[in-house]
Amino acid sequence: MSDPSQNKSGPKRVRTIGPASFAPGQVGNYLSRLFEYGDLLLTLTHHRIRVRYKQSALGLAWALLQPLSLMLIYTVIFSVVTRIPSDGTPYAVFVYAALLPWTLFSTGLTSAVGGLVSHTHLITKVYFPREILPLSYVLAAIFDFLTASLVLAAMMAYYGIVPSVHIFWTIPILGLGVCVLTSLSLMLSAMQVWVRDIGIAMPLVLQLWMFATPVVYPLSAVPQWLRGYYILNPMTGVIENFRRVVLQNTAPDMPSLLASALFSVLMLPVAYLYFKQREATMADVI
Amino acid sequence: MDANVDLAVNKVSKRYRIAHEQAAGGGLAGRLRQMFGGGAKQEEFWAVREVSFNVHSGESVGIIGHNGAGKSTILKMLSGITTPTEGSIQVRGRLTALLEVGSGFHPELTGRENIFLSGSILGMRRREIHSKLDGIIDFAGVRDFIDVPVKRYSSGMYVRLGFSIAAHLHPDVLLLDEVLAVGDMAFQQKCQQRILELRDQGMTVVFISHDLQAVERVCTRTLVFDHGRIVFDGNTRDAITHYNSSGRFNASDRKGVSDKVRIQSVEFFEEGQPQPVNHLCTGDAVRARLGFQCDEALGRVFAELYFVGPDGQLQCTLSTREKLFDLPAGRHHLEFVLPQLALRPDLYRLDAVVTSERSPDPLEWLVGCASLQVNPGRYLSGVFFHPNQWSVISADAPVSFRR
Repeated sequence: MSDPSQNKSGPKRVRTIGPASFAPGQVGNYLSRLFEYGDLLLTLTHHRIRVRYKQSALGLAWALLQPLSLMLIYTVIFSVVTRIPSDGTPYAVFVYAALLPWTLFSTGLTSAVGGLVSHTHLITKVYFPREILPLSYVLAAIFDFLTASLVLAAMMAYYGIVPSVHIFWTIPILGLGVCVLTSLSLMLSAMQVWVRDIGIAMPLVLQLWMFATPVVYPLSAVPQWLRGYYILNPMTGVIENFRRVVLQNTAPDMPSLLASALFSVLMLPVAYLYFKQREATMADVI
Repeated sequence: MDANVDLAVNKVSKRYRIAHEQAAGGGLAGRLRQMFGGGAKQEEFWAVREVSFNVHSGESVGIIGHNGAGKSTILKMLSGITTPTEGSIQVRGRLTALLEVGSGFHPELTGRENIFLSGSILGMRRREIHSKLDGIIDFAGVRDFIDVPVKRYSSGMYVRLGFSIAAHLHPDVLLLDEVLAVGDMAFQQKCQQRILELRDQGMTVVFISHDLQAVERVCTRTLVFDHGRIVFDGNTRDAITHYNSSGRFNASDRKGVSDKVRIQSVEFFEEGQPQPVNHLCTGDAVRARLGFQCDEALGRVFAELYFVGPDGQLQCTLSTREKLFDLPAGRHHLEFVLPQLALRPDLYRLDAVVTSERSPDPLEWLVGCASLQVNPGRYLSGVFFHPNQWSVISADAPVSFRR
């Protein structure tokens, strides 16, 4: 039994609960509250990973299976059945290097979007910063990504691909990818509480989106006149450049990278504020 | 906000909108209209209206009121689960709300893993949980099962573990909603004891309950809510008296098809007492009395009184359906005699109905026209108290003990 007086020392924080609002001035408060609940975010992420594999026979192998099986299918289709340029690298490793960040994005987004409505019971009974729910799915997807990266490393060793110093670009590139993922997760998961169509549409949208992103083909295969539109897709800059710096030992393509960065800088704060505004009355409608 | 105030509630109102899907028009067009806020017909109601109160540091405050009085809504706003439509609430320090036991438990995880999960959902840090782990396990009495998935737990063990986690939180302000109404009697006692301990250590407690005895034990001051407003704020004993006397007849929601007959009162009497009451104990001898006003003779009718629990489930019906009676013009009373009240302790809503033999639609149907608080009386474990007499019959000596 701890001594309650330990809580009473020092001035206590005062929290004000008022009507829902889109309040940019509150960002500091939101973030410090999120930080207070940091342990919950970690516990929930850990829990996602544990529960997913708890009673499954293949366990952690499932994290590898998704990108691996897609890699096999696309390799058969696009390098055996028909030929697609792969910028000089073997097609299997070429497509896997793009499927890896794409899977991070698509599984992260799919699970995060359903993250609020699948926790109705918690949302109506306990207060905690709600963004923790979609964020925990994003973190779990990052964990899966890191696991599946080992396969990429093995493939690169097999094909004798030695990365150069450009490999360090992966850190800002993935950072941008996670920003894009996080902003869309926040926005769409909050919308999903009001309009359930979003979750239903996700698989279709993500499938179309994948083919509109240079995953199974290189950006260089896209006609010049289309490229301007291509880089409006924030995932183009992430996927294409991840593959470039890992496999092709070149610097990233700056226009597309900057487009992704611009998208993140604008979207992330807007998505977060939108989420916090929606959070206020979420429990009433969920 | 004064330094010694932990909770300041300032002119808080909460409006809910109930969308009527029919009114928006079916199909996609209607759905779209609804989505963008135009056209959809919505009914508004204020669950809480301009409520203000302060809770001082170390105070233990009860909130009581009939169903739908706004108690749960104010609790949800205090805890931050939802926000007010108008007004503001200020909270000093760490606040934990316990609206249910075992929040966030996952059936596949072990008891130990769930302590970490549920504890962090309730706002504890991992380090803190580590240091309290043994205390939590021992208080719940589940040490032998702590590494077993909770889906294998009995419901009693589940509830004990859930409460035990909550009992080891150390917030500055603790909000409790009906949580004492779980588990067996012995565990309930233990929970109450624990809450009293926390209170005596200086924790600020806000306790919402239908169990007036528990409120009286825990709280020094109590607020009575009615129709979203505070109608009484003062010491607990006076609040309970006020609450019990405010259960007046309420004829707002009528569903009957005729104006010829009106139910004017629904009253309960303890056997031998002339004054009506609206709180009784399980096992009491009770009379329930319906008053009618009849404008013209209605022929043969029957009357019924429904007892509806807080969850909206019909618990019991008093009915004269098996034997119709004539209802001439004028004023009448119908009296049901209940030698021993079988209802379990709870708050019941009453619906009164008069139906003619000529038509299946009730002539008069009042929904929620009165309420009845049943407090613990005769020992009861299960769904209802079965009135009984007992004796010991010995085969050897023909002596019996009767009670």
